[in-house]
Amino acid sequence: MPFAISIKNLSKAYPAPFAIGALLGRAPLRPAVEALKDVSFDIDDGEIFGLIGPNGAGKTTLTKIIATLVQPTTGTVTVKGFDSVTESAQVRRVIGLAAAEERSFYWRLTLEQNLMFFARLYSIPQRKARARVSELLAQLDLERSARQRFGQLSTGNKQRMAIARSLLNDPPMLLLDEPTRSLDPVAAARMRSFIASLAKKDPPVTILLTSHNLNEIEELCRRVAIISHGRIRELDTPDRIRTLHRPRERVRLVLDGISIEGAVNALAPRLPEVEVSQDGPKTVVTFSREVGDDRLDRGLRAVLDNGTRVISCETERATLLEVLEAVEREEAVKGNGNL
Amino acid sequence: MNRILSLFDRMRAFVIRDFQLAVSYRLAFLLRLLTILIVVTIAYYISRIFVGKGNLFSDWRDPLAAWITGLAVLNYFMTNFSSLANAIRTEQMQGTLESVLMTPISVPGLIVASSTLDFIEATLYSSLYLVFGSIFFGVTYDGSYLLAFMILILTTMVFASLGILSASFAMVFKRGDPIAVLLGTSTAVFSGVFFPPQLLPEFMQNISKILPATYGLEAIRGVLIEDNGLSEARGPILTLLMFLAVLLPISLWVFSRAVRRAKREGSLIQY
Repeated sequence: MPFAISIKNLSKAYPAPFAIGALLGRAPLRPAVEALKDVSFDIDDGEIFGLIGPNGAGKTTLTKIIATLVQPTTGTVTVKGFDSVTESAQVRRVIGLAAAEERSFYWRLTLEQNLMFFARLYSIPQRKARARVSELLAQLDLERSARQRFGQLSTGNKQRMAIARSLLNDPPMLLLDEPTRSLDPVAAARMRSFIASLAKKDPPVTILLTSHNLNEIEELCRRVAIISHGRIRELDTPDRIRTLHRPRERVRLVLDGISIEGAVNALAPRLPEVEVSQDGPKTVVTFSREVGDDRLDRGLRAVLDNGTRVISCETERATLLEVLEAVEREEAVKGNGNL
Repeated sequence: MNRILSLFDRMRAFVIRDFQLAVSYRLAFLLRLLTILIVVTIAYYISRIFVGKGNLFSDWRDPLAAWITGLAVLNYFMTNFSSLANAIRTEQMQGTLESVLMTPISVPGLIVASSTLDFIEATLYSSLYLVFGSIFFGVTYDGSYLLAFMILILTTMVFASLGILSASFAMVFKRGDPIAVLLGTSTAVFSGVFFPPQLLPEFMQNISKILPATYGLEAIRGVLIEDNGLSEARGPILTLLMFLAVLLPISLWVFSRAVRRAKREGSLIQY
């Protein structure tokens, strides 16, 4: 199956800004800023692919290279088989970008006028463009504001407009940057379901999603890449990344009919290193374990043998945020080591 | 052929957008009309000082006709020059450049298309200088409007080449374009818009000789005021053609280098 996006050995170094001092030899030449280093991955057709990383990690540069707005220093990006440098016009025809930047519209024009302008740039015939604009405004709950100036919209609605614009020419490939950042929880949930529905369309839309909302990434993306200091650190399904990176989980048992002392006494012989606390009438036991080991069985057996009721049992695995933090810590340690 | 059609599509998109934006500032249009009328009126009253006085220069026999022709043509040249240079800058400042460049429009296409309404407006406003002069102050033009218009287009193409050079500066250095500063000031002072360049000291007359506007103005005034034909206008037209032959390829080459550099540095969308 051909890939929707294929990235091979991509590197990007921004040259140091032109400095008169350096030219005259009075200041040291500043080195180029390496934004991406040897990045390679593929995105399948119809896949929602997540890209996460801290600020300055290289997410925006990568997105802009795919969108043909910035040229790579080395390496290649192909989108639907088109090269992002030599066939940039074709790439832009098959790709839509919804950036989080709300200044990217004309604030004194209405929503309709804004979208019609961009539709004309795609050479969409007038009648078809009008129909498409109305359809998108309806899909994104912006119908009532169609004749309102863009500048009068709420931040959340401005963000929806960016998504509407990215879909104008019905592209098979979308780059979404923080699509729910300014939406309220209900609107964000609706937006997520809208995004998920795009990937299920026939033909499906392939989506590269960058977000700081890691729950959103976990909910929507089949695979996730963690990027840090311009390099891809992890690339896998969200589940596998969490497990591989931190194969431990925290277990929380809520018990009824047993005191703190009773729980400590019952558990101590079979399960060392537990924390026991009181939560109202209930006693709460928490402990860590390697995913899949027998500590949970031993703990449950201990309290059940004691005649205690287990009200609930919850496990809490490492979140993507924890994985991201761990990647950052590793980077920091490496950085210190290099000093 | 397809490329030309799609360029027309884009030009139409930008004209509609710019018109909608202009309409959202209704007062600006009225103020512009009023300004032109005031400038023409002032020129008329200053010209009254010279009534009955002999004039060494035939095309300055009627100073009002010479001034309003000069102002009209200067307005046309400078608007068209600066609109090309500003095309990228305006979108950069507004923050819309990235979203426009995400559509299948090329950077040269964007510059041409987004300047279209400026060209139309410049034509309208420049004509108004002549129309107001004719309606309110009885200025008459005897020569061929078609020939004058062709010379205007030729000079505009020379200015457009300089505008492309200026746009290249804007793309790489963002601000501080020396071409705009030098060309704007020297054209206003040395090209004969307000007085004949022959009045200048000799070394300054040399400056006027390297400005394309001097030849454009000389030829257009000659045609409109003195009823010159093609044979009389041949000298300045040939000079303008030479300017164009040199400047156009250079400006296109510099522009393509600037686009490549801006894309490589990732600075195209920054301001």
